[in-house]
Amino acid sequence: MQNKTIDQVKLMLVIGAMILVGQKIGRTVIGKELAPLGASVIGILTVLVICMVALKLKGAFPKVKFPAFAWATMIALILSMPFMPTAKLFLQYTGNVDFLATTTPILAFAGISVGTKLTQLKKISWKLVIIAIVVFIGTFFGSALVAQLVLKIQGII
Amino acid sequence: MSTNYKSSSFRNLYIIVFIIVIISELIGIRKFAVGPGSVVLLPMLYAVIIGLVITPGILGKRIAALKSMITDEVMEIAGMLVMLSLLPLGVKYGTLVGPNIVKVVQAGPAFLLQELGNLGTVFIGLPLAMALGLKREAIGATVSICREPTLGVIGERYGINSPEGTGVLGTYMMGTVLGTIFFGLLGSFAVNTGIHPYALAMASGMGSGSMMTAASSSLAETVPAMRDTILAYAATSNMLTGVTGLYSVVFLALPLSNWLYKKWEPFFARREAAEGSGKDAK
Repeated sequence: MQNKTIDQVKLMLVIGAMILVGQKIGRTVIGKELAPLGASVIGILTVLVICMVALKLKGAFPKVKFPAFAWATMIALILSMPFMPTAKLFLQYTGNVDFLATTTPILAFAGISVGTKLTQLKKISWKLVIIAIVVFIGTFFGSALVAQLVLKIQGII
Repeated sequence: MSTNYKSSSFRNLYIIVFIIVIISELIGIRKFAVGPGSVVLLPMLYAVIIGLVITPGILGKRIAALKSMITDEVMEIAGMLVMLSLLPLGVKYGTLVGPNIVKVVQAGPAFLLQELGNLGTVFIGLPLAMALGLKREAIGATVSICREPTLGVIGERYGINSPEGTGVLGTYMMGTVLGTIFFGLLGSFAVNTGIHPYALAMASGMGSGSMMTAASSSLAETVPAMRDTILAYAATSNMLTGVTGLYSVVFLALPLSNWLYKKWEPFFARREAAEGSGKDAK
């Protein structure tokens, strides 16, 4: 149990380092002002602590089928609600971690992990490829049209 | 968990992903005018493509150094790390929803009802799949966008080796490989349809963290003035789908698919017989 936690901490620290390096390059490329290194490090550590709590909560409630990702969102959501005393400081720290910078490592891992499925994928017929794309479009625009209608009725848009 | 894997596999994976991240960020955000609108390409899109291309099945075949670095074990660990690396993003989403919580609650009815819009795939996808000659595979392939919960439901009810299982696996795999790329492009292009970005943001939450991220962040980059609300809506909708998605498949989408299948089956069977090509004879 303890070893598992240490492993998770190590892995999260590596991921945190990737996010910071990516963010520095990303900001330099588009000419955005760089956050001071110290502030960025505090920011990412704050984020990583919540990630660890999310992992522990998921482990503690295996029967509740709530993924760690959703736990992480939930905790951060609660800490940053306007009437929470934590909101100001928490948003100030996490604000030094760019949203887009957190996405790049995920997709790099995802791309590599698909490598194991390539042979299986070659067996899928072209018909399923077309169907999948229509399923994507149907799901997306189905929801979008209903949302458009309801938001209009509510007067939000 | 790392005790089962060689530490050299972890080291190789770290080096590779660091390089991918650096290259992707160096390319940076690119905007292209396409027709009347624009498409935004984000570093994450380059990252998934580079990651996929360097695996042994594609470029690894040609380049020996890549092949020796990216072993099966490395790809397995990468799969495990997707889950962990999603967590910081989850935190960032929380910080986007929290400050906007009042706005999100106000839009509550829209959030709940748009979940039903996910059934859109059954009405469009199912007839197309049947027209293409699929039998019960059609049910699995089009019942939903087929993320993990659907895989579980279909697997339990029909068995993953059944025709329905083959269908659901097909859409699942396509989602894993193409989903982020497809939605990364669709997210920014969909603005041209005239549907409000807020509605599109809600639609981005389909129960897959990576697809939601691809769709909503390219949407947000296309309409930067609405960025925070777009990301908050998308994250909330995705969380909601995480909760309701499973029940919606079990109680709505699957019964509906089965009912429509029975209704349409004679029509497609007649049409096939009329074509009389005998292609389906085994």
